[in-house]
Amino acid sequence: MTSLRRALLGIGVAGFAAGLVAIALVLTSDWSRDDRTANLALGPVIGWAFITAGLIAWWRRPENRFGSLMTLVGFTWFAGALALSDTPGVFIAGVMLGAIPFGVLIHMLLAFPAGQVEGRWARVFVAVAYFDVAVLGPIAILFSQTHGENGCDDCPSNPLLIANSGVGDVLFLIYGVVAVFGLIGVAVILARRWRAASPALRRTLGALYLTGGATMLLTALTFVTDIASHTVAIALNAVSVVVLATVPFAFLLGLLRTSLARAGAVSEVLTRSGDVRGALAEGVGDPTIELAYWLPERKTYVDRDGRTMDLPEPSSGRAVTRIEHDGRCVAAIVHDPALNEQPGLVKAAGAAAALALENERLEAELRARVEELQASRARIVQVGLAERRRLERDLHDGAQQRLVALRLQLRLARDRAGKDPSAAQQMLDGAMTELDEALAELRELARGIHPAVLADRGLEPALSALAGRAPLPVEVRSAPEERLPAPVEAAAYFVVAEALTNVARYAQASRASVAVERRNGHAVVEVRDDGVGGADPARGTGLIGLQDRLAALDGRLEVESPTGGGTVVRADIPCG
Amino acid sequence: MTPTVLIVDDHATFRLTARLLLESEGFRVVGEAEDGMTALRKARELGPELVLLDVNLPDTDGFDVAARLTGSEDGPMIVLTSSRDGADFGPLIERSGARGFIPKAELSGERLRALTG
Repeated sequence: MTSLRRALLGIGVAGFAAGLVAIALVLTSDWSRDDRTANLALGPVIGWAFITAGLIAWWRRPENRFGSLMTLVGFTWFAGALALSDTPGVFIAGVMLGAIPFGVLIHMLLAFPAGQVEGRWARVFVAVAYFDVAVLGPIAILFSQTHGENGCDDCPSNPLLIANSGVGDVLFLIYGVVAVFGLIGVAVILARRWRAASPALRRTLGALYLTGGATMLLTALTFVTDIASHTVAIALNAVSVVVLATVPFAFLLGLLRTSLARAGAVSEVLTRSGDVRGALAEGVGDPTIELAYWLPERKTYVDRDGRTMDLPEPSSGRAVTRIEHDGRCVAAIVHDPALNEQPGLVKAAGAAAALALENERLEAELRARVEELQASRARIVQVGLAERRRLERDLHDGAQQRLVALRLQLRLARDRAGKDPSAAQQMLDGAMTELDEALAELRELARGIHPAVLADRGLEPALSALAGRAPLPVEVRSAPEERLPAPVEAAAYFVVAEALTNVARYAQASRASVAVERRNGHAVVEVRDDGVGGADPARGTGLIGLQDRLAALDGRLEVESPTGGGTVVRADIPCG
Repeated sequence: MTPTVLIVDDHATFRLTARLLLESEGFRVVGEAEDGMTALRKARELGPELVLLDVNLPDTDGFDVAARLTGSEDGPMIVLTSSRDGADFGPLIERSGARGFIPKAELSGERLRALTG
């Protein structure tokens, strides 16, 4: 058992005991025996209900002070029962404490649901309420006789009486006026908060504001009518006490309604319409909710159309609840943060819709794939175009230029052959060098288009050749001896070629290694270097081109490149 | 009479070969430039009668350089050249104000004289 649970259980036991003491006071009270039935019927119920509901709220949201305030209403209520005692000392203590629960109740209502009193006026009214019930009221009692004409006939005398004079009446009048204005003010604040609340927040506030507000108004009315008719006031007071008794039940009902009934409502609407978002919006009472579906392969959320969606930050004024199905994340619900005041509501609603969410997630995944395929297809066309442009430029700037120069040199040599044979010979030597360069460039170019050794002999010799041509020591640690499908071999080869080009260009590495292994029907290509790391796969067009090439084969590319920790380029290609 | 020539091309091998070739055929090569901006500057400084101008330059293209050089009254004559075929450029050669076009592989003093008269 957690320490919180132990503490709450202890408070619960104390609350139960306090109720028993109150019952004992009711039963033994001589002066109030006429009201015994009413006191028995309502007194303990109100106290216990507040304490129980308060402890439930406290347990659910330990960091929120609302639960402790509600529990305190219950305890102070029981403290008021001391006024039933026939012993004057105990009796007067109870009378003085009798109005305290109303102060705490006001504090509790204005602190709902955040747990803190927000707003200047709300804080002023809480302070006024405590001053009225804890200071002004008890002082007034010091100047009022409790027994007899101004009090009740059977009550014990006031042992603390200073003077039974007009001062007491005046003080009580002030006490009453402050109470009436305070109560009306609180009711106004509650009404204004209600008006400004979002639909989701209203669902939270609903029952508690209604019963709490009604108690405020009825209590205010009791004070006012007391001036005209004491009998009517007593009747009104009884009504307000009954309404007060409903406050904790309203709170519990709200909880029950939200966490149990909502989930049911979601399933019901889902069966009716099949609209998951609509059903959840209705279920949690927030028309603004958005759904984000989790794509585990891509590690991103997407919307229904498969487009990437960033979840809002906690500070953005929106809240996020993740929904799981069979232990896997399915979706996230983006909603009004007010819904967090009903913990479990969104999760329960989401759980009720989990299967439907999983279906929509699969659809969204499919759409995302289609979208990705379209984009990748477009990029493949672009990469193809760029490659052809590069090829034209390489041919034009390289071999073609050399052949042009060669043509001119040969003509010059021919023109001079007769007059100056040694100059002609020199020119022919130059022409041969030019020709060698042109041949080398053409070879390199052809290899870049598709290496013949790869097509003829497979990956192992092609990778070894690639390693041999690299400007740093490259070890080919493993390569499959058997042939793989040609597109897989080509993709693996170009991953290694591009990775080694990058190693040579950027990594400042002293050595690199290459491994291609067959694992579960996949070719896993890995190129490692011991260079400076910090490679960004999004930077070079080379790697993006490769990514598309791999995507066309359902493969994927990963780059691990911690700064200072070398780089690992890993490609995973299904062998079809 | 020995016409003076400025050779503009970004390939050093071509500039060298063209210089040898033209000098052996009675031209005087007064300078070389490897891009458009240098070409404009050297044309101003050296005042050659003829500029042998490659179409593909690293900074701008030969058509632009030709248009700027032929813009003034006493500008040099321009002959464009490229390792590509003249037909690849469509109407651009004619519009550039150049005297004509010689494919690089066919460059000779004779062809140059035929165009510049």
